[in-house]
Order: sequence, then structure tokens, then C-alpha cells
Amino acid sequence: MKAMAGSVENRRKIRAAKVMAVLGVLMFASFFISMNTGFIKLSPWDVMKTLAGAGTEKQELVLFDFRLPRIVLSVLVGAGLAVSGAILQGVSRNALADPGLLGISAGAGLAVILVISFYPMTEGAPVYLLPLCAFAGASLTAALIYSLAFRKGQGVAPTRLILVGIAVSAGISAAMIVLTIKLNPEKFQFVSVWLAGSIWGANWHFVLALLPWLIILLPYVMVKARVMDILRLGEPLAIGLGTSTERERIRLLAAAVGLAGASVSVGGGIGFVGLIAPHLARRLVGPHHQYLIPASALTGGLLLIVADTLARWILQPSEIPVGIVVAVIGAPYFIYLLMKT
Amino acid sequence: MFMGRLYAQQVDIAYGDRIIVEQLNLSIPTGKITALVGANGSGKSTILKTLARIMKPKNGAVFLDGKAIHSQSTREVAKQLAILPQNPTAPDGLTVSELVGYGRFPHQRGLGSLTQEDKRIIQWAIEVTGIVDFHDRPVEQLSGGQRQRAWIAMALAQQTDFLFLDEPTTFLDMAHQLEVLELLHKLNQEEQRTIVMVVHDLNHAARYAQHMIAIKKGKVVCEGAPDQVMTHDVLREVFGIEADIVPDPRTGVPLCLPYGLAHAAVERARTHEKGA
Repeated sequence: MKAMAGSVENRRKIRAAKVMAVLGVLMFASFFISMNTGFIKLSPWDVMKTLAGAGTEKQELVLFDFRLPRIVLSVLVGAGLAVSGAILQGVSRNALADPGLLGISAGAGLAVILVISFYPMTEGAPVYLLPLCAFAGASLTAALIYSLAFRKGQGVAPTRLILVGIAVSAGISAAMIVLTIKLNPEKFQFVSVWLAGSIWGANWHFVLALLPWLIILLPYVMVKARVMDILRLGEPLAIGLGTSTERERIRLLAAAVGLAGASVSVGGGIGFVGLIAPHLARRLVGPHHQYLIPASALTGGLLLIVADTLARWILQPSEIPVGIVVAVIGAPYFIYLLMKT
Repeated sequence: MFMGRLYAQQVDIAYGDRIIVEQLNLSIPTGKITALVGANGSGKSTILKTLARIMKPKNGAVFLDGKAIHSQSTREVAKQLAILPQNPTAPDGLTVSELVGYGRFPHQRGLGSLTQEDKRIIQWAIEVTGIVDFHDRPVEQLSGGQRQRAWIAMALAQQTDFLFLDEPTTFLDMAHQLEVLELLHKLNQEEQRTIVMVVHDLNHAARYAQHMIAIKKGKVVCEGAPDQVMTHDVLREVFGIEADIVPDPRTGVPLCLPYGLAHAAVERARTHEKGA
């Protein structure tokens, strides 16, 4: 009876701490397994030796230049997409919202196709230009969708945002199909792998390019956790409780676009993580964004590390785009969710 | 003519280009329960939302403590005025006491979690609304009446002088309706909260409100004490019904016993039928 408000709060906190500890352990385990997995065999012992600085030159090359950046990048991409999805689901009050909703994947995809189409060289992709263009495409599309959904005096109604987002994304997808038809087979191959989502050409530069976004935006989003809780109650209540809904919404959407845009620019069109990781996290820690955001980040990172490891392992020596693996893991879970509710 | 802490001055309200309310002047008596009554689509809910700064007026302004409410920081207003809209929904899994805790939002700063003071107020709100027994149940598992009381508890935790409610008794059975109204009455009597509510049941309005405002097509037709508003003529004009007004045998407040549609309304129904 006494301190009843505190008891629920404490229970949640303890549960969230447990969940995150488990997710952390799982991630650490996957990290380690992932280091052992790939075309060139590295046993756990080799990995330990190499990490300690006693590996062969080849082992060092494989581990430090290929595998580690890729693993780290998949964690970051997964976390970025998942948090972006968690923000969007909260702000739009729609459980089916994901970064694709704001045209982020479509916009990035279109930019990539445009670059590839007009890039003169047939050999190799413009590795450093692509992420930049993908990011620009993603943010421009998000800005376009936002301004189309904007109504003077009313601001942006979440439902409107979703509908406009779906429409614009569909339009962009149509444009992409037209453009891909004109590509030569080699370019087509590259574009389809990119669109399916793949931690391609991973190196430490990409890690360094993505990391600042997460370092800046994750704490910002955490500061806004309570605002997101309140926004989740709907426009009238959120205003009534003293939130400047329009201003908060645009800030949070911008953060979501930044996170997803940066993630997509290095990870390609990996769609499902942003939808499914927040769902999983919500089931694990409940509706409070204070716990939901970090839990989503961990779930997304874990999901992608596992998916990327599987992508490298299933069809050895070739690999499948990680986005497809995510979809294969994610789809059954989603159907299960639908059947349960 | 303007009295009290909260009033609307020459307010026009529109949805897009469609003007709902024109040139509204309205004053909310401080420390009383005010009931907004009117037919469906009369604009009473719109007026309530505008008074509570959820909607922005097209022209004119609502004043709270002498300053235009829309120019004040929404957070500061939230410490003065709480509003409970129609059919609010809580996210799945949120417990009652967590929901009530959201009421402390305008008073919280930065990242800080609930203070002892916050917890004391949450506890009080849960007790006064009589939802102690299910304080740690998820909101979605409650019955309609329990849920409504949980939402009222959230608004109470906001600790405001003004409490706005949009149809707080809709979808509740009779006992739960009375429960909610008795609670509002108690808050008004014991803590001098100013309460403004939209209600459909005229007899509830007359019994629990000290001030009634009858609205038709966005205009105030009549306002005043229940016995001034609950008259044969006003009911005919505002609701299009013919009714006898009799004093309540217990309390003496006017009771309305409708016995038919007013002539104009009957005509309208007929032409509508022919057209259909």
C-alpha cells in the first residue's frame, strides 16, 4: 500500500536491467561467434591469439580489417534502425511504423540507383560517395514527406504522415523500377544487393562515419524519453500535459531520420529491423521509452549481428544479403505476433 | 463583462475553412462546476478544447489569468489547467499508477524520476478516485468506470486549479456515472477546483453544475444557474425537444422530462424521411 507508485517503477527497473543484461550477454556471445564465422576459418583460439596480438598476418587482416569492422557496423546499423523505429512508432502512435515510413529506405535507394546509373565506371562502386548520396536521398525524402503532410494551423497529424509516407515511398519505388530496368547486369546486381540490405564494403571508415550519429542522437533521444511517453497518449492529452507537440514531434522525427538515414547509408535497405526490434523490446521491457529505447538498440544490434553472421555462414563461400536474413527471421515472428493479438 | 480567471474573447474557431464558432464571448466562473450542454455537433466539445488551448482559435483569444493562453508556455498552462479528452487511450501494458504518474509531467524537470512529493500526490490521486485496488493493473484490463477514474486520477495528479472534462460519463453505467460526478463534486467542494465539463445528460448537468452554458451552432444561447437554463423554451431552442421541467423532489434542482420533439424538429425529421 505504501509507496505504491514506487513499487511498479522499481519492478520495471529491475526487469529492464535483467533484460538488458541478458541482451548484452547474448550480443557478446554473438560477437564472438561472428568473429569465428566466415570463409576463412578462424577458431576461437585463433581469434583470442589474434586479439592478443599473436596471430599471423593473414589472421590479423581477416579479423581486424574485414570481420571486426563488419561486426561492429552491423551492431551500429541494427541499433540505429531499431531506435529510429521505436521513435517513429511512438511519435506516430502506430505500431506498424518503421523507418521505411518516412521514405528513408526508398529515398536512399533512389539516390543510390541514380548514382550507380550515371556513374561512368563499370568497375567497382563509388564506395565513399554512395553513403553520402544515400543519406542525402533519405533526408530529402523525409523532408518532402513531412512538408506534404503539413497543414497550416494543424501541423502534422500522425495518420497523415503515415499515408503521405506510404504514397511517396510507393512513387519512389516505381521510379526505382524504371531506373533499374535501364541498368546493365553488373550494376543491377549491385543495386539489388544494396536494396536488399547488406553490410557491404565494411571498413573502419564507415564505422567512424556512423558512430557520431549514434553518440549524439542516442543520448538526445534518451533525454526525450518522457516526452515520447506523453506523445504516445495522443495530441489532446500531450498538449494538456504541457508538451509543445509540434516542436517535439519535428525534433524527434529529425532524430529518427538522422539515425535511420545514417544506418541505411552504410547498411542498405535493411527494413525489418526498425519494425521488429522495437516490438520485441516493448514485449520485454514495457511501454516506457526510458527502457524501450536502450532495449530496442540492443535488440536491433543483436538481431543484425546474428543475421549478418548467418548471412555469411548459410551459403558459404558466397553470402546472402543480410536484409533477406532479417526478413526470414522476422517474418515468422511477426506472423506469430499477429496471431497472438 | 469578463470575470474570473479564464475567459474567451471574440473567439472564432474553424476546422480548415469551415467555421464552427463565431464571435464567442464566454467566461468560466472560478471555483464552480460549469456544464457545457448542447446537441450533437453544436460545437461544445470544440469550445471546450479551445478554452483548454488544445485547439487554436482562428481569431480572438482565450485568456488565463489575464494573458492569452496560446501565447503562454504550454507547460506553465499545464500546471494551471488539466484536460481529459473524450475516449483517451493508454499504451498497452501501462499500469494505472504509471498512468497517474504521467500527470506529474508538467512539474518534472530534466531527467529526474518521481520525487517523494510526486509520489505522495500520485498516491493521493489514486486514493481519492478509489482505484487503490487495481493500481498496478494494466489500464487496458480495467472496466470502463475504473478506466475513466484512472484517467481522472491522472488529471488530478497534475494538481491544477482548472479541470476540463469532455463527456466524462459517456459509456459508463448509471452507478459509475454518479461515481464520477460525485467525485468531481467533492473536488469542487473540498478543494475549490474549477471544473468545466461537457455532459449529455441534462439532469446530471443541473444537479452537479452550478453554472450551465447551453450551446447551439457554436453560439451561447443561454447561460446561468441551472434553473435559468433548464427551461421549456431553452430546451426547445437548443435541443429541439418539448419537455416538462419539474423540481427534483429531493434537491429542488430542475429536472427535465422530455415528452416529444419540438415542432421544427418533427418537420425536419419528416422531410428527411421523404428525401430518404
